[in-house]
Amino acid sequence: MDGRTGLVVVCAVAGGAWALLVLALLVGRARHRRRTRPLAIVTEVGEWKQPPVVTELVDLGDTDERTAEELLNESLRSDIPELRTASVTALASLADRHDWAIDGLVEALAEASENPVRVAGELDRLAPRPGPRLAPLVAHPNPVVRAYAVRLLSRYPALAEQHVPACTLDPSPNVRGAALETLRAAGSPAALRHALRLLEDPHPQVRAQACRTAAAVSGRASAAYLVPLLADTSWWVREAAREALVTAGHHATIVVEPALESHDPALRSGAALVLQDIGHVDALVGDDEGGRLERIYGAGGRRLRGAAAERARRGLVLGDGGALEAEAAS
Amino acid sequence: MSFETALRIAVLTCVSYLALLWLMHWGLLVVGLVETRRRRREREVDDVDALSGSRFAPGVSILVPAYNESAALPDAVRSALAIDYPEFEVIVVNDGSKDDTLARLVDELDLVPVEASSRAVLDTEQILGYYRSATDRRLLVVDKVNGGKADALNTAVNHSRYRYVCAVDADMVFARGSLARAMREIVRDPEVVGLTSYFENSRDPAASLPDGVHFVGPDTRPLFAFQSFDYIRAFFSTRIGWARLNFMLCAAGAFQIWRRDLVEDLQGWSRTFTCEDIEFTFRVHRLLRQRGRPYRVASLPDCVGVTEGPDTMRKLISQRERWQRVILETCWANRRMLLNPRYGTVGMLGMPFYVLSEIVAPVFEVLALVTLVAGVASGLVDGWEFVVLTLAITFGNSALTTGALLMQDLEGRTYRLSRVLRFFALMPLELFVYRPFMGWARVKGTWRCLRRDKDWHKFERNVRTGTT
Repeated sequence: MDGRTGLVVVCAVAGGAWALLVLALLVGRARHRRRTRPLAIVTEVGEWKQPPVVTELVDLGDTDERTAEELLNESLRSDIPELRTASVTALASLADRHDWAIDGLVEALAEASENPVRVAGELDRLAPRPGPRLAPLVAHPNPVVRAYAVRLLSRYPALAEQHVPACTLDPSPNVRGAALETLRAAGSPAALRHALRLLEDPHPQVRAQACRTAAAVSGRASAAYLVPLLADTSWWVREAAREALVTAGHHATIVVEPALESHDPALRSGAALVLQDIGHVDALVGDDEGGRLERIYGAGGRRLRGAAAERARRGLVLGDGGALEAEAAS
Repeated sequence: MSFETALRIAVLTCVSYLALLWLMHWGLLVVGLVETRRRRREREVDDVDALSGSRFAPGVSILVPAYNESAALPDAVRSALAIDYPEFEVIVVNDGSKDDTLARLVDELDLVPVEASSRAVLDTEQILGYYRSATDRRLLVVDKVNGGKADALNTAVNHSRYRYVCAVDADMVFARGSLARAMREIVRDPEVVGLTSYFENSRDPAASLPDGVHFVGPDTRPLFAFQSFDYIRAFFSTRIGWARLNFMLCAAGAFQIWRRDLVEDLQGWSRTFTCEDIEFTFRVHRLLRQRGRPYRVASLPDCVGVTEGPDTMRKLISQRERWQRVILETCWANRRMLLNPRYGTVGMLGMPFYVLSEIVAPVFEVLALVTLVAGVASGLVDGWEFVVLTLAITFGNSALTTGALLMQDLEGRTYRLSRVLRFFALMPLELFVYRPFMGWARVKGTWRCLRRDKDWHKFERNVRTGTT
């Protein structure tokens, strides 16, 4: 083959490849419009040469529950990720009508065989039905499973009250944090007590959660306990404490203002930020008796002063500053 | 050696280079097609949007560095705040803009000046002030002294509170489902430490994705269509294959999600390079390979949004020469990884691919042009050979682009048929009316890199049509 023929062959191959790909794209589009899925019923895992179409599995679950249950439970333990995912999707769809599908999802969570975020999301959606099945999982040996189970129980106040307080002593910080979150969400009367205790937890994630819980349950009652955490070694805890105190609104002022005189600069600046965010700074602008505003500026720094001045210039106020003014006036 | 012999050697060298390049690209395309098929099957059996309604979704901090982005930024921030995801925050860093970026943000997004606190994990330039939205607590704007994009990203990391950070460009208009789709990959596989995803480009991103859900489709005006070809090829026939072979070497700066602890471990994005994205991805690979940790950097085919494409050739050349510079800088800085088995597929496949397809490309492009002119002028290449060779290259390039387009089409068939047909019509022209300019951009970028130019050379944003 001489050079010219070679060139022609290369040109033909390249042109042919392009034409074929163009054709593949256009034919694929045309077929996609007309495609209807075959409804082959599968009865054994081994038959799944291709990942199953979830609708077929759901149909099977409705027509032959026993076979579907066995099939889906087996496939949840498969080595093929698509198969496990398909099983979770099908179980989630069937769980609206069949209790055995809820059991399957709980088992999937317990075995951590499939993405726990996905499984927990489905179980959460199905509340209140999975509740009693979830309670035993708070004692599961795997801390990941325990943490998900504890968080899921937040939709079941009675179960949460019964099983979750003990989890605030769990060796895993994830579980302790989740326990506080659940007690808060479930409105447990014990939430504040546990939160105040865990403000001294060695793990910052738990301390941060304790701040949020304490503030959510009773910002007013917990404010004094939260102030020292404005100087915590962890930024996340300091932020959580600040946000928690802001939640308490102007009721926090009385416990936060003394912190402006602290020897700890972190505590002073944290206190200044809280007073800014609850609107205390804006309320004092133009009516600063006894140099309170200057003390806040001194603790909060140049940017806090600048931001307050700009807000005042634009007539803006933060937080419940207006409410504070109104209360003071009354 | 006679002139004729030299010319023949030059022709043979260029043709061999082209053949090698095609072989690599076709190889990656095949790997990408297999991966796309696997992903399609997986998607058919999963509820891909399940995460958007789950309170178990991991939180994400969206980091938006902005420098002179007055025209694009408000739309980008609004679209970010409209993302359908349960737990996220948006941290915009105004990196000492000289235009009215900050003033426009304050006006349009109802911002209130405040003081805030941050961690000081990464060293950054001085912070001048903070702004919070009066209506949406998820938005924080940090105003700081100019320090470049990497410095702005590091500033945002210091303020981020979630486990994952999503660094984006200030002109990105997001699809509502973008985060849920991307984070799905991360929660499915704990080994995924970083991720990028496909995005479109257009003259006016907000007009191309007006409701955050329905993409108008790619701009088929030639300059934008050719850029679309680049994006489609880069994501579908390159990055998906790279990710499958575990050497995803560039998490695009317009949309990159990383685990925050990894970013902090690496001391954030580097300020010593022209751009930050490729260099950071290389550093992730280097660190994790050295530590021998199992990890994955993923690239997804899901379209997460629309960014602005330059609307003039001058701007486009400026952008591409910058890309060329950062590739050269990054490969040089990581040259010890090249063909080093310690770095696995990154050193043995990824780096050689980059060197061949990006770094030496300008040399061969210039050589091919000189050879062609010399061959035609001396009569050694006749008209017939020239035409057939040109046709072969045109068809080959068009086939590669169509292969990538086919993969994009398999993902959701979102482009209207009329636009696809227009793409087919434009493909053969790319070699003649687009590639020469890109070749020039590469030569220019290489020259500037050799002169140690690390300036961003930022160009003006396109004029918006007024859609918000």
